[in-house]
Amino acid sequence: MLTLYKKELNYYLNNPVGYIIVILFAVFANFFFVKDIFVTGSASMRPLFGLLPWLFLVFVPALSMRSFAEEKRQNTIEVLLTLPFSETQIVAAKFLAVLTIVSFGLILTFGLPISLSLVAKVYYPEIVIGYLGEILFAAGLTAIAIFFSSLTKNQIVAFLVSILVSFLLLVLSTDFLATAIPKFIQDFLTNFTPLYHLENFVKGILDIRSLIYFLSLIAGFLFLTIVNLEKRN
Amino acid sequence: MISLTDVTKKFKDKAAVSDISFSAKEKDIIGFLGPNGAGKTTTMRLILGYLSPTQGKISVNNFNPVDNRIEILKTIGYLPENNPLYPEMKVSEYLKFVADVKQAGSYLATAKEVGLEDVLQSRIEELSRGFKQRVGLAASMLGNPKILILDEPTSGLDPLEQEKIKELIKKLSLKKTIIFSTHILSEVEEVASRLIIINAGKIVYDDGKPKGKGTVEKLFRKLIK
Repeated sequence: MLTLYKKELNYYLNNPVGYIIVILFAVFANFFFVKDIFVTGSASMRPLFGLLPWLFLVFVPALSMRSFAEEKRQNTIEVLLTLPFSETQIVAAKFLAVLTIVSFGLILTFGLPISLSLVAKVYYPEIVIGYLGEILFAAGLTAIAIFFSSLTKNQIVAFLVSILVSFLLLVLSTDFLATAIPKFIQDFLTNFTPLYHLENFVKGILDIRSLIYFLSLIAGFLFLTIVNLEKRN
Repeated sequence: MISLTDVTKKFKDKAAVSDISFSAKEKDIIGFLGPNGAGKTTTMRLILGYLSPTQGKISVNNFNPVDNRIEILKTIGYLPENNPLYPEMKVSEYLKFVADVKQAGSYLATAKEVGLEDVLQSRIEELSRGFKQRVGLAASMLGNPKILILDEPTSGLDPLEQEKIKELIKKLSLKKTIIFSTHILSEVEEVASRLIIINAGKIVYDDGKPKGKGTVEKLFRKLIK
């Protein structure tokens, strides 16, 4: 699995598209945070942690869309599945490679808490837990995007469907839907949305229920991807 | 080594292969012939465990390929139809990747054997079709597998390249069991020791190859109407 992980990672590292996506992500994240910090005058990372999910919404599907769609288009999926790899190993290697690249993007925002600490007192455990939440959130979206990539040969279709599904999941817990559906339904659905569970992490609370939620979301969509690969029969 | 007994593979309700049985012993070189859609690729994928049979029994080195796919694939080299490769990779990167997966050690000897030593640092997308085919063949040979399954290894190559690939298969046949499919009937005459003809999912011929030039073509035309 490590061999395939390295191959997948090398694809992004040897390809300008990978760098462009990561750098754009970092530029947007840093810019929107710095732009508002002087207005709010607050030395908190919460605005960044509130912004990142919406950036992940676009950047994670952009990185994940090729995972299986391109393998299917070029039929290299047959090469992979006739080498001594299990379906689980293939899915895990691709998932971890995308998540590694997403993590590089997150690392490029580390300058923000460091800069904040120079001018104000920051509470590091809250920041660490916030970043943990963001990586879990990104991992959840990666699992969703990889699943949709495994359903099609077309990267653009994978990209758009992943964005659409992830967007719907995100807006379920926002005021955006408050007028469209009864409140008790929204309250119920909110329990299944990643934004709701991310809130705890952003506040610096390591809630075991939210941790389980994200791990279940990741495992669930990776499992569906494995099942879809096995469905070639 | 390889045995298929009453194997049927259906996709939804349509049978791609129906009730086929044959076996391959050590050092057999089986030419697998049939028109497009006859079931050649499906049969090869069934042997590899890539597909599972709807009914029937398949055994490769006494293992069921579906339940032991990973183990089986360590002993089989496979060149898929149309030779899918990663165009963005260098030849050396691709062969190293496959060698690492198969725990085959260095890929250099195999690359030299198929004549790739001068293009190792080239990207696969920059190669001619003949060289791409050699890359696919080299990848299938890595790890010294006892069985080679080659799905149309000379498809789309010019006569000179076809000749080189045929020579290579002949050389490999001294130490391996080879099953190869082809549309080029003369290729079977030159390379195979045994002939299997499949038509509409059924095996219509399984015997030694007929002797004499043009005899395979005559037999093929007689059986495939």
